Amino acid sequence: MITQNNFWQHNRTVLMFALVALTMPLWFPLIGGYSGLDTKIMIFCIFVVGFDILLGFTGYLSFGHAAFFGISAYVTGIMLKNFSDNIIPAILVAVLAATVVAVIIGLLTLKRTGIYFSILTLAFAEMFDSMAMSMLQKWTGGENGLTGMPTPMLFDLKMQGDTVFYFVTLMAIFLFYMAKRIERSPVGLMMKAIKCNQTRLEFTGINARKYKLLAFVISAIYAAIAGALMVVYEPFVGHEFLGWHQSGEIVIMSVIGGVGTLVGPMLGAGFMLYFENVLSVNLGEQWLLVLGAIFMAVVVFMPGGFMEGIARLKKRYFTTVDGE
Amino acid sequence: MAILDIHQVSLSFGGLKALQNVNLKIEKGTTHALIGPNGAGKSTLLNVLTGMLKPDDGSVMFDGKPLLNVNSYDINQLGIAKVFQTPAIFPEMTVLQNVTIPVFAARDGSFNLNMFEGRSKQRPLIEFAEQQICELGLEKHMYSLAGSLSRGDKRRLEMAICLANKPRLLLLDEPTAGMARHETEKTIELLKSMQDGITKVIVEHDMNVVFSLAEKISVLAQGEIIAEGSPDEIKGHPKVIEAYLGEAQV
Repeated sequence: MITQNNFWQHNRTVLMFALVALTMPLWFPLIGGYSGLDTKIMIFCIFVVGFDILLGFTGYLSFGHAAFFGISAYVTGIMLKNFSDNIIPAILVAVLAATVVAVIIGLLTLKRTGIYFSILTLAFAEMFDSMAMSMLQKWTGGENGLTGMPTPMLFDLKMQGDTVFYFVTLMAIFLFYMAKRIERSPVGLMMKAIKCNQTRLEFTGINARKYKLLAFVISAIYAAIAGALMVVYEPFVGHEFLGWHQSGEIVIMSVIGGVGTLVGPMLGAGFMLYFENVLSVNLGEQWLLVLGAIFMAVVVFMPGGFMEGIARLKKRYFTTVDGE
Repeated sequence: MAILDIHQVSLSFGGLKALQNVNLKIEKGTTHALIGPNGAGKSTLLNVLTGMLKPDDGSVMFDGKPLLNVNSYDINQLGIAKVFQTPAIFPEMTVLQNVTIPVFAARDGSFNLNMFEGRSKQRPLIEFAEQQICELGLEKHMYSLAGSLSRGDKRRLEMAICLANKPRLLLLDEPTAGMARHETEKTIELLKSMQDGITKVIVEHDMNVVFSLAEKISVLAQGEIIAEGSPDEIKGHPKVIEAYLGEAQV
């Protein structure tokens, strides 16, 4: 009985997310979403959940996570085009490549904190961007992007339409569940302690640097999985996948949704993509201006993002019930 | 037997000689106070012991193991904990989470990849953390955010964090600084009651605290140890009166 209660308590958010995500093809068109956008939202949910393990837990703000997203997307594309149209080896090789890069970049950038760390990660990502455009042009397609991939296959299953959506969504649910497990583990506690008081943590016998590197690499793996899935979703990789604009978008999604809550950044990702692709049509050319205003309003009035807003509403709702 | 053996330690910051040939032996199980006027090198010496500063010369042995060029977290894992001048806690976490950290650090060492182990499933460890919190009288605040505690309670919480991974040597850097008198007295009681064989080194300006706790006192002035002895010996020591007690009006 107790174990069942624990299971429900621990996995409530994961189950709720699974319910909302898996039923998306039913309700998303009703609010103007088109098929395909739901898949993209799920891919970015994976990206931001991983990013929250770094930014939300340890407090380290990376402006270069597009590097892992982009590297993985390119490697997936190259693998599908040149070796096999099966996505499993392509994704595995891509994620492995991005992980190796993440360990190296992590070791170098985590020597610094605060804005210096952010700028170092940005610099590394820009390096990869310019490499994709110059010396690696033969592989990346340079300005034109990487195209000409065959229809990706999951063994005998063609990855098209709904199949892609369900594949990506199941991955997102699984990876969100894993992130929740990490949060509940001793490792999650140490990561969150880094954000609170790194000196105290070191004087409590903990090697903070290793935990930071671990958080950095895990978040890069999530970004890499998202990058690989992007190619399964749409057979194209452009250099903008690696760019600072992509990194910045992830930061905005996280902040709007609520840093450190895991669920919040996913709400942020859903909101941003919905806004960019659906509401922007109604708003016309001014949509970026409106988005900027919304972002500012959230940061000023709800620094905890959507999650803070939800918490406030809950509190108000429950207080009225108590009052009665 | 000396648990801590500081031998000929010297350290300069530019032209300033912060520590000059400091020799100090701390006996196991005792409470040893380090006193001296401002800038005498007391905090510098503590920072050397915790790995924050590297001395230019000399050696430090803890229980037969060298301490120099060892990382702070490894020093803590060897059994040395430090209470800071301003309570160093994890303000955005609950009191229980604060104390859970050292409990896991004691079990897992400085790094462990147990990413998928549920913390709440480790009942004995959590219970041990709860017990530490109760022993320091913080049971009412078990689930409060550490940052919301009063200063005295923050100090207690810091002690709970330090004691939870069972140190053999506890370094205290002015544990009563900025405390009201009744809080100072509570802290003295707390330190006195901790008698399970923990060796304590205490840096303190408040002579009331020093004389009610210390079994042995070392006096530092301008980076040198100028006197050492029991509280009574120190009270009457002419060099000490000249260097310190005279101006502190005791």
